[in-house]
Amino acid sequence: MKIGEILGKIDRRIVFGFMAIVVIVPFFFPLNVTGKVAPPSQQLFDAVEEIQPDSKPLLISIDFDPQSMPELYPMLKAILRHAFSRNVRVCMMALWVTGVGLGEAALNEVAPEYGKVHGKDYVYLGWKPGFAAVVLGMGKSIPETFPTDQYGTPLESIPMMRGVKNFRDIPYAISISAGDPGALTLWIPYVQSRFGQKLGTGMTAVSAADAYPYLQSGQLTGLLGGMKGAAEYEHLVAEAGYSEASKPATQAMDSQSMAHLAIILLIVLGNIGFILTKGRK
Amino acid sequence: MHLSPDLWVWVGALLTLFVFSFLFGDNPFYKFAEHLYVGVSVGYMIAIYYWNFFKPDLIEPLFGRGELILIVPLILGLCYLAIFIQKFSWVVRIPMGFVLGWGSGIAIPAVLQANVIKQIQGSLITSQTLAHWNTFVWSIVVLIGVITTVIYFFFSREQKGSLKVVANIGIIYIMIGFGASFGYTVMARISLLLGRLQFLLRDWLGVIH
Repeated sequence: MKIGEILGKIDRRIVFGFMAIVVIVPFFFPLNVTGKVAPPSQQLFDAVEEIQPDSKPLLISIDFDPQSMPELYPMLKAILRHAFSRNVRVCMMALWVTGVGLGEAALNEVAPEYGKVHGKDYVYLGWKPGFAAVVLGMGKSIPETFPTDQYGTPLESIPMMRGVKNFRDIPYAISISAGDPGALTLWIPYVQSRFGQKLGTGMTAVSAADAYPYLQSGQLTGLLGGMKGAAEYEHLVAEAGYSEASKPATQAMDSQSMAHLAIILLIVLGNIGFILTKGRK
Repeated sequence: MHLSPDLWVWVGALLTLFVFSFLFGDNPFYKFAEHLYVGVSVGYMIAIYYWNFFKPDLIEPLFGRGELILIVPLILGLCYLAIFIQKFSWVVRIPMGFVLGWGSGIAIPAVLQANVIKQIQGSLITSQTLAHWNTFVWSIVVLIGVITTVIYFFFSREQKGSLKVVANIGIIYIMIGFGASFGYTVMARISLLLGRLQFLLRDWLGVIH
């Protein structure tokens, strides 16, 4: 069998095994590949940095589900650590029904690290159906759209929500988004365009490329793209001295880089095999 | 190695391995994990729908506080169930018409504003973009990209001569866009694998920190 045919007929299980080795080895022998922080990540960090402590809350929307956790959950935790370390209040909500538990888990994990208390330092509004109806309703009145928080406490009795009526009282909103409904399909058209809400997003890498036009037009003022964006935010938070917690996205970036090199190698080998086979035919 | 003593971590780890077994072909372990995932997801969603929506927004205000106006959305919602009765399946058109009308009414101006008008504004060269050579150069690149890509999708005239040259420049921009999307997609898929591997190696086996 010629080399072209061999390259074109590599058993997929060999490819899977090769990829497994490539991504597992860097966990045990870290290469500490450090990349430059991209401007969109820095912009999101700066936007959170500008929020006044102990004032109006940062709004975070959980627009993802467990399938996107490896990319988006580290982002969420890094943003929460950034906010809580600066005493920025956090108002969290969910537009994806299967994301409700993720938001709760992140708050339960990060808030105790900074001694933050529910109702005083953060509130979890939970989930409501309706997508566009929910955010449009919040533009009119947040307490009318979410009369109670996730745990049934009336919003009017929650100290940090006093004086928070609608988006005019939200200095910055971040949609942690895995698709539709999310930053591009809901928050930009219905919230940023309609109410002029200052908006940032953390997105899965699949949809991050689609977000750049909105960044260029100024509709988004910050963007974290996939696991790399999460790693960059973890780096910024750690560099500023806000957190010494573990950095799961950063830890995975060595494996990510090696996997990319392996895929480039496989693409090159596949094409060489194709060209050699085609030439013989 | 510090194996997790948590039963649920073991359940998660075994289910992860069951799903990974699909790489070697369809098998009963994968099928079990797949069906369990669908069942658990639906059960979870039903519970959240009830506690976050039906109970506080419909049952309590309607039957507890007597807010009778809620009968209207209740009836509209129940109309959807008519689709299961062939004789009355036409009734489903009523709530669908309501949703389509309302949805179009709010979506069309919002999407036009966000995806067309603001994007055109973002493509324009303004005094702000002229302020620095860096922003100026990128504005030119974006402007050329927008014009040539739009011309590529202009089908009212045969693309030949100068129109073809411009459309070909548009193709280059489109291909760069596809390449960026593909690169990001590769990163996303590898990230999902890494997330599971971190769970297996750290949370389950305890061989990394």
